[in-house]
Amino acid sequence: MALLELKGVKKIYDQGKIEVPALRGIDLRVGQGEFTTIFGPSGSGKTTLLNLVGCLDKPTAGTIIFDGRKLDDLDKKELAMIRRHSIGFIFQSYNLIPVLTAYENVEFALRLVNKYNPRETRDRVLDILSAVGLEGLAHRRPNELSGGQKQRVAIARALVKEPKLVLADEPSANLDSKTSEEVLAVMAKMNKELGTTFIFSTHDPLVMAYARRLIEIRDGLIAKDQRREQDAVLN
Amino acid sequence: MDFIAKIAFKNLFRSKLRTLVSIAAIAFGVMIIVFARGIVLGMIETIYDDHIQFNSGHIKIVTEEYQKRERLLTLNYPVDGFTGEGVGGMMAELEKIEGVEMVIPRLKFGAMVSTEDELVALSGWGVNPGLELAFTDLENDLVEGRMVRPGEREVVMGTALLEKINRQVGDKVTIVYNTAFGSLKGSTFTIVGRIESTLKLLNETVVYLPLDQAQALLEMEEQATELLLVTTNLKTVPRVLPAVRGLLAKAGAGDRYLVLSYRETSDLIPLMDLSRIIFNYIYLLIVLLSCIVVFNTMVMIIRERTKEIGMMTALGMEGKDILQLFAIEGAFMGVAGSLAGAVLGHLVTAYLGKVGFDYGQALSSMDAEILFDTMIYPVASAGNTIFAFVFGVIVVTLACLIPARRAARLEPTMAMRE
Ligand SMILES: Nc1ncnc2c1ncn2[C@@H]1O[C@H](COP(=O)(O)OP(=O)(O)O)[C@@H](O)[C@H]1O
Ligand SMILES: [Mg+2]
Repeated sequence: MALLELKGVKKIYDQGKIEVPALRGIDLRVGQGEFTTIFGPSGSGKTTLLNLVGCLDKPTAGTIIFDGRKLDDLDKKELAMIRRHSIGFIFQSYNLIPVLTAYENVEFALRLVNKYNPRETRDRVLDILSAVGLEGLAHRRPNELSGGQKQRVAIARALVKEPKLVLADEPSANLDSKTSEEVLAVMAKMNKELGTTFIFSTHDPLVMAYARRLIEIRDGLIAKDQRREQDAVLN
Repeated sequence: MDFIAKIAFKNLFRSKLRTLVSIAAIAFGVMIIVFARGIVLGMIETIYDDHIQFNSGHIKIVTEEYQKRERLLTLNYPVDGFTGEGVGGMMAELEKIEGVEMVIPRLKFGAMVSTEDELVALSGWGVNPGLELAFTDLENDLVEGRMVRPGEREVVMGTALLEKINRQVGDKVTIVYNTAFGSLKGSTFTIVGRIESTLKLLNETVVYLPLDQAQALLEMEEQATELLLVTTNLKTVPRVLPAVRGLLAKAGAGDRYLVLSYRETSDLIPLMDLSRIIFNYIYLLIVLLSCIVVFNTMVMIIRERTKEIGMMTALGMEGKDILQLFAIEGAFMGVAGSLAGAVLGHLVTAYLGKVGFDYGQALSSMDAEILFDTMIYPVASAGNTIFAFVFGVIVVTLACLIPARRAARLEPTMAMRE
C-alpha cells in the first residue's frame, strides 16, 4: 500500500472575484522510502501541492490518503496531530527560532511529540545533529550558523521525531550550488539510512539530480513522472 | 508548557528596546496608581482627622436648633445640662458611659478685631486647654509660645490671623463680641501663643481662649455650644451612640439634643467615598493607556513572527499553544513592569508620606470653614501596592490576549510563504 495517494486533487484559490486554479487534477501515489522531487517553473503549483500533502491546507476537490487515513474528513486538531507525529517540514528560509540554539530548535519538535523522557530526548537530539554533520555546533544560535548549517538544523528538526514523511519546499533555494549539493546529500543519506520518505520541490537541475523519482508539474497538472533505479549523483 | 514558557521568556530579548519600552509603560501606569491611591488614602485620613479633631469629635452633642444655625455661631441654643442645670453634671454623666474616653466642651462665638483700616472677623473658641492638647494635634502646630491657661485672659491664634491684625506673641489684643444677651462688648487679651497650621481654619480664623473666660465674658456660665465625645476608637462609635441617646432620654433631654456620629456631620466624608469609586475607574484608565503600548508591541511582534508562527503550527502546535506562548510573553512584561512600578511607586509614596507635600496655593481661595487640609501625607500601604501590582499583571495579560488570539488563528500555510 502506498504511503500517500492523491486522487483527482484540485485546489482553487478564491481571490475575491478571480479564482486561481493552482492544481487542476492531480493523481499520484508515493510509496514508503521514496526520494522524490517535484519540479516545475515558478507558479506551477509545487508549494500548493506540498501544503495539501502536508495537511496544512485542504483541497477544493479530490481525495488525499496518507498512511491509510483519508484526510478529507479530519478536523483541524486531527490534522495538527498528523503533522506533529508523522510529517517533518523543511522550509526554504529555514524557519528556525532565532532565540533558541540548534539543539533547542531540534528539541522543539520532539517536545511537541512528548513521548520521550529527558534522557531519551537528549540522546535523540544529539544523535540526529551529528548525523546531519553538526557535531559540536549544538549550542550555536541560528545567527552563528551558515546557511547550509541552518538548513541542516532544519533537516534534523524534521527527522528527530522519525516521521513517515518529510516535505521540503525548495530547501536549497537560498543556498549557493555547493552548499545546495551538501544539503541534498545529507537528505539522501538520511533517506537511505532511516528509510524516511522525502518529497522535495525545486527548480534547480543540480538538486533534481539527487532524486530517484522526478515529477514535473506544469500549470497545476503532472506533466511527467519518471523513476530511475539510481540517482544521478550518489547512485 | 515549561518549554513554551522558556521560549516566551527568551523571546523577550529579541527586541530589547521594544520590550523595555513596554515594561516602562506598564511600570509608569502602575506607579501612578500606587501613588494616586496613596494620595487619596492620605487625603481621606487627613480629612477624617481634621473633621474629628476640629469639628465633630467621634460623637457630637448639640441642640437641634444650634445645628440648624451652625454656621452663624449662635449663642441662643447652648448645651447647658440635661435640663438647664449646667453642663458640668451632664459631662460627668457622659464620661461614665463605657467606651467614652473624653468629653470635650467647646464654646464657639463670632468676634472681631479692629485694625487701623479694617474689621477682621474671627471665631472665638472657648476651650478646656488640657483636653484640646490631649485630643488634637494642636501641640505640633503651636510653633511659638504656649497654650492658654484656665482663669487667664489669654488667647492663642494662627499666624495668618496675627499678620492680618498686625500683632505678635506677647502683644495685647482687644476683641469685640456680642454677649448671649446681645450687648456689644470688648475685652483685652494677651497673645500667648502662635499656631502655624496648614488647616486654613486654624491659621486664619480661630482664636483659642480658656473656656471659663469665654463663659464669663459671654454671660454663659456653665454652658458650651457643643460637647464632643471621644471614644476608644472609631469602631466603638456605633456602640456608644445608643448609650448616649439612652442617657439623654432618661434624663429628659432626649428631645433637646442631637447626638451625631462623625460621619453624619461631614460634607467631605461622603464626597471622599464617592471620589474613591471614581478614582478606581481612573486607575483602570491609566493602566489601559499603558496597555495600548503593550498591545501595540504585541501586534508588531506577531506581524514580524508570522512565518515563525506558521512554522510552529506546521510542526503541530495548536492554536491554544500559540495563544499561550504570546500570553506568557505579555504576562512576563506585565509582571516585570508592574513589579518595577509597584516598588517605585511605593518608595515615592513612602518618602512623600514622611515629608508630606503642600498644595496650598491651588486651594487658597477655599472657604476656611471647610476642613480641608492643604498638607497631604500620602499613605504607602502594602495592600495598596500589592493591589496595583496584581491589577497591572492581570490587565496587561488580558490586553495581550487580543493580539495573541489573532496569532493563534494564523493559517499554517504561512510557514511556506516566501
Ligand atoms: N494563498 C494563495 N492565494 C491565491 N493564489 C495563490 C495562493 N498561493 C498560491 N497561489 C497561486 O497558485 C499558483 C501556484 O502557486 P504555488 O503553489 O506557490 O507555485 P510554486 O510553488 O510552484 O511556485 C500561482 O499562480 C500562485 O499565484
Ligand atoms: Mg513555491
